[in-house]
Amino acid sequence: MNAKLIPFILLLAGSLQAAQTLETANRRNGNSVVAAFEMQRQVLQTSSAVILDKRAEIGYGVVISADGYILAKASELVGVSNLWVRVDTDLYREVKLLGTDEDWDVALLKIEATDLTPVSYAPSSDVPQGTWVVANGATSLKARRALVGIISAKTRTIPDGGGNLGISIQEKSGAVIIEDLDPKGGASLAGLKKDDQIVEIDGHQIGSFDDVVEVMKERRAGTAVKMMVLRDGKEITAEPLLKPGPLTRNDTMSGAFSQRRSGFPRVLQHDIIANKEMIGGPLLDLQGRCLGMNIARANRAESYAIPVEDLKKLAERLMKQYSNG
Amino acid sequence: MKAFTMFLLTAMLPLGAMAQEDRLYVNDKKVPENLQDLEAIQSALIKALPHARKATVCLEIAEGSGSGVIVSPEGLILTAAHVSGGVGRKVKVIMEDGTEHDGESLGLVSNTDAAMVKITDSKGGPYPFVELDRNDQTRLGDWVFALGHSGGFDKARGSVLRLGRLVRISPSTFQSDCSLIGGDSGGPLFDLNGKLIGIHSRVGTNLPVNMHVPMSEFTAHWDEMLASQFLGDGPFAERPKKGSGFLGVAAEPRPEGGLSVTKVGRESPAEEAGIEEGDVILKFNDTELTTKDQLVELLDEMAAGDPLQLEMLRKNGKEETLKLRLGER
Repeated sequence: MNAKLIPFILLLAGSLQAAQTLETANRRNGNSVVAAFEMQRQVLQTSSAVILDKRAEIGYGVVISADGYILAKASELVGVSNLWVRVDTDLYREVKLLGTDEDWDVALLKIEATDLTPVSYAPSSDVPQGTWVVANGATSLKARRALVGIISAKTRTIPDGGGNLGISIQEKSGAVIIEDLDPKGGASLAGLKKDDQIVEIDGHQIGSFDDVVEVMKERRAGTAVKMMVLRDGKEITAEPLLKPGPLTRNDTMSGAFSQRRSGFPRVLQHDIIANKEMIGGPLLDLQGRCLGMNIARANRAESYAIPVEDLKKLAERLMKQYSNG
Repeated sequence: MKAFTMFLLTAMLPLGAMAQEDRLYVNDKKVPENLQDLEAIQSALIKALPHARKATVCLEIAEGSGSGVIVSPEGLILTAAHVSGGVGRKVKVIMEDGTEHDGESLGLVSNTDAAMVKITDSKGGPYPFVELDRNDQTRLGDWVFALGHSGGFDKARGSVLRLGRLVRISPSTFQSDCSLIGGDSGGPLFDLNGKLIGIHSRVGTNLPVNMHVPMSEFTAHWDEMLASQFLGDGPFAERPKKGSGFLGVAAEPRPEGGLSVTKVGRESPAEEAGIEEGDVILKFNDTELTTKDQLVELLDEMAAGDPLQLEMLRKNGKEETLKLRLGER
């Protein structure tokens, strides 16, 4: 879709008078409404893990075994120096990161524990849109809080995308020339220069603007591409690291969204407004069963979870690959 | 202030007087208290959703993409004024299944963000449509749901559903905690019976602040909008200025009166109205034409979207009256 989005007009507060207002506690995620989800909150209390970088909360995890195996969002763990985990009221300072699955952006963690309560999986993620779901909200040392919402769109694949070279290009008689570079962009940092002619990207011959668009359209930020360019008649190769694309207006109104929010084999979509620090925990149904694992906050209106069928397989695969058991 | 007084009166009427036998009981509870209450909300939502979604459309207008909702089998659509942007604009209407129809924007209310669009395709129809809440039955705290093509049309995803409550009601605005984003503009807000109660208009910088135009703003100006009038002065749409209108003909005066058409612009309003080279324009909105300057001066006094009536002497010798709207220069 090439059409630009018609942006909402941002309204500044305090302009309307003569209004009736619902008290905060009675709003969708107000305390009094969320109180009706106490049973599900209890499940979050025992079967979700708070992922910490020392004392700072960076996300949540899903407890998948009594003996301390936990799944968390892998890309949020990058650069964490003191990986700690809290389950219920217990703090674990010895956390092993056993391995990760790139496709799903999920890491397998292990803590020394014996009697944790793993999530119980729902029989299927194939539930109607409009079905209530519950996920981790903000947390205190002692208590997990719940956020509530509904399944909100079709379960589907989210293609890769959003990876950006940081260049502008021009097509000149069958050749694609770098016209300008963002000095902090991947191409510039990899040594590419203005007037370089792009010959190949990841083995694909480049002869037009459309060739570049085609090769780049499903590249994810954080990955690298192999490029060959011609400079003064000489072939030069470079491996620029792709950065997240320029922010859209929708991004700027979305608060804290996940850096990695594309390129998932299959997701359930829901409308819980969590920030990126609330991703990684279980998505529960009204019975308190695990419908999936929250994996990305895409924007202000859309959040993604790994469906339970895929989550179970992924958990088994990671355990087989990385656990000693 | 008048609207506010009326509103208070409505809110104080005893429930029995409102004849709302289908009103979901949970709406009259402060908060849902147990599993049964939560399941009542869930099952009402699941029941109302398929029909509501069929009538929800993506609207592509000029370079923009927004949402709308069909409210009649003939294809009348309600949307936001900041989506339609003006009167007489070409619109591409995309249904949930990806089917596309041609459409045109009708009237709008620029100070409250209400607007109409209609599907102009001769094919298609009757279209799936939703009913309006004409009696203003919604109240503060009601459970509501929003649909819209968040971020633009995505067939694999479909329109995106959000649940919330009406958290603020003022005379010309509903606020809900259904979280909206660009692309949702103009999309529908429903009560749990699937009746249309509002159109998405604007958001606050805080995430849970989302504004909708109530149905009362549409019903109050229904006929004017149907008649393609541009109402109010901003801020949601800019009134076209004089001289912004475009007809798309070149013409030379004839000795016996009238202007003979020498050229018709491609895809111009003139071409779309069927005007051809060799036709003669006799009258322009009741003014007899004798010179080119006259045509220029008359057009200078009009704006894009203005209706126009031309009395023509066609090439084949027949006289005919054409009705059209000026395009945008």
